[in-house]
Amino acid sequence: MTHMEDSAPAVSFDGVSKAFGAVLAVSGVGLGIPRGETVALLGRNGAGKSTAIALLLGLDEPDAGTVRLFGGPPARAVAAGRVGAMLQDGRPIRRVTVRELVTFVASAFPRPLPVAEALALAGLTDLADRRVDKLSGGQTQRVRFAVALAGGPELVVLDEPTAALDVEARRAFWASMRAYADRGNTVLFSTHYLEEADSYADRIVVLDHGRVVADGTSELIKGTVGGHLVSFDLAPAAGLRTEDTGDTENAVNTEGAEGAQGAGGLLVRAEDLHLLPGVVSAEVRGGRALLRTDDSDATVLALARLGAVRRLEVVPATLEDAFLALTREAVAR
Amino acid sequence: MRKPAPPALLPAPPILLRYALLEVRRTLRDPGFVIFGTAMPVLMYLLFTNVGGAGGADGGTYWAISSMVGMAAYGALGSAVGTGTGIAEDKSLGWLRQLRITPIPPRQVVLGRALAGSVTVLPALLAVLTAGGLVNGVRLGAGQWAALVVLLWAGALPFTLLGIGNGYRLSAQTTGVVNVGCLMGMAVVGGLWFPVELFPGWLRSLAGYTPANRFADLGWAVTRGSAPGALTVAVLLAWLFVFGSYAVVSYRRSARTA
Repeated sequence: MTHMEDSAPAVSFDGVSKAFGAVLAVSGVGLGIPRGETVALLGRNGAGKSTAIALLLGLDEPDAGTVRLFGGPPARAVAAGRVGAMLQDGRPIRRVTVRELVTFVASAFPRPLPVAEALALAGLTDLADRRVDKLSGGQTQRVRFAVALAGGPELVVLDEPTAALDVEARRAFWASMRAYADRGNTVLFSTHYLEEADSYADRIVVLDHGRVVADGTSELIKGTVGGHLVSFDLAPAAGLRTEDTGDTENAVNTEGAEGAQGAGGLLVRAEDLHLLPGVVSAEVRGGRALLRTDDSDATVLALARLGAVRRLEVVPATLEDAFLALTREAVAR
Repeated sequence: MRKPAPPALLPAPPILLRYALLEVRRTLRDPGFVIFGTAMPVLMYLLFTNVGGAGGADGGTYWAISSMVGMAAYGALGSAVGTGTGIAEDKSLGWLRQLRITPIPPRQVVLGRALAGSVTVLPALLAVLTAGGLVNGVRLGAGQWAALVVLLWAGALPFTLLGIGNGYRLSAQTTGVVNVGCLMGMAVVGGLWFPVELFPGWLRSLAGYTPANRFADLGWAVTRGSAPGALTVAVLLAWLFVFGSYAVVSYRRSARTA
């Protein structure tokens, strides 16, 4: 191996596209993951996560672009035992014990973890002599995790690793994952659970319709869609009526709103909300305006000047807000 | 220009053997394999040779021997094609995909599976021969017994390949049905259940070109005290080539799609 390959990133995608029939599953994806990083791949169902993972592992060939692992083709990294993976929908084979399965997989790798250690990491020590096909869904998930780690791979790829786990098992899983990542290994996982991406990844890549729509730390991604969410009750003036049918709620809010409107002669039209300073996007739901803003101070001051601060609330945007905004935008595009 | 890296850093044979061992263990733990693969041929052999009576003392002995070979071949054939049922199941579980992201070269997986299939042929084969010797009092020379085992064991290879071809090509459910269909069809037409002498003339001449018939003929020749005929060997080699190609093509196709 040359020096260049020794310092090459664990994963690199360059202009990678893959179509199935007329459907472009992955489209022009560029992505680099340095060694030692833990990256979450976020996206809705059908966003291209599993296709991207299949391309990464060399299970599929891209139509265009190149995928490289540790500076070489995926097949070489796989053959060298540098990659381990927990595939989606993989179910364990029947009529083997947990220990037999993990021992066999470990024996296929040049630098495996000791079997006892792989079992312990996955929380399977007490189940080692049970038949794999006699385990519960959550236990089965842990077996698949042990299989992914058994070879002691430098790069671990996990496609929705916690899908069948309850809250406690999920927490235990991430503790193990952290421990494995802390040894200097690279981890790429896909998930539906935004809070998992938020708490366990150094970096989040959001995939939508086969494209990378955001790539950065959780903070950065929350920032791209407006760092805060400002909400307030709209006055029931004619200009504020929207297609929204929150009539009853509007009626309830009316009493409080009357005075302010009478005094200030306020008119913030729903369609003008996005013109307020700092506002990235605006939405009216149930007679309440929801503004995503990257400068909440300026937005609130402007609203106060307009006398529109009825039941005003300012909360930091969550990753979920960011995710929804990012993927909705891509739909409209 | 750098030469492409060798596909695996490990020496090939050990992992192949370890994989074969894992598969043999899994098969032997399958109650379906033990009951239908091993106990059933023995039971059928004992039924066919002891119920209804197959003529006089000489005729009885002849039938006890030829049915023993036929049922041993039938049992071996069933276990051999059954290899494919296991492959199709593993494919549906995503296990073959999981194996593709280990350093085990894909070819070793197929070879390991074929090797395991060859080993799992033995229980049915040995069980029927044992029943022949112990229950039906079949008497053959030690060399004949040994030749029977070796020839029926080696001759099962084309059927293992047929099963593997089905397993890689078809879904788990379809494979099971197709394998049983292949097994029954080849066994009956090949004269493993009933002697071909009972067949109408046209079927009898057709039987001579079917793989199961020639497979059993390896054994029948031994019990007659002669070496397998050249035609038998030639027909079997032709089927080995056909089923082998089928397995390779199916495997390649599944590697592209699975």
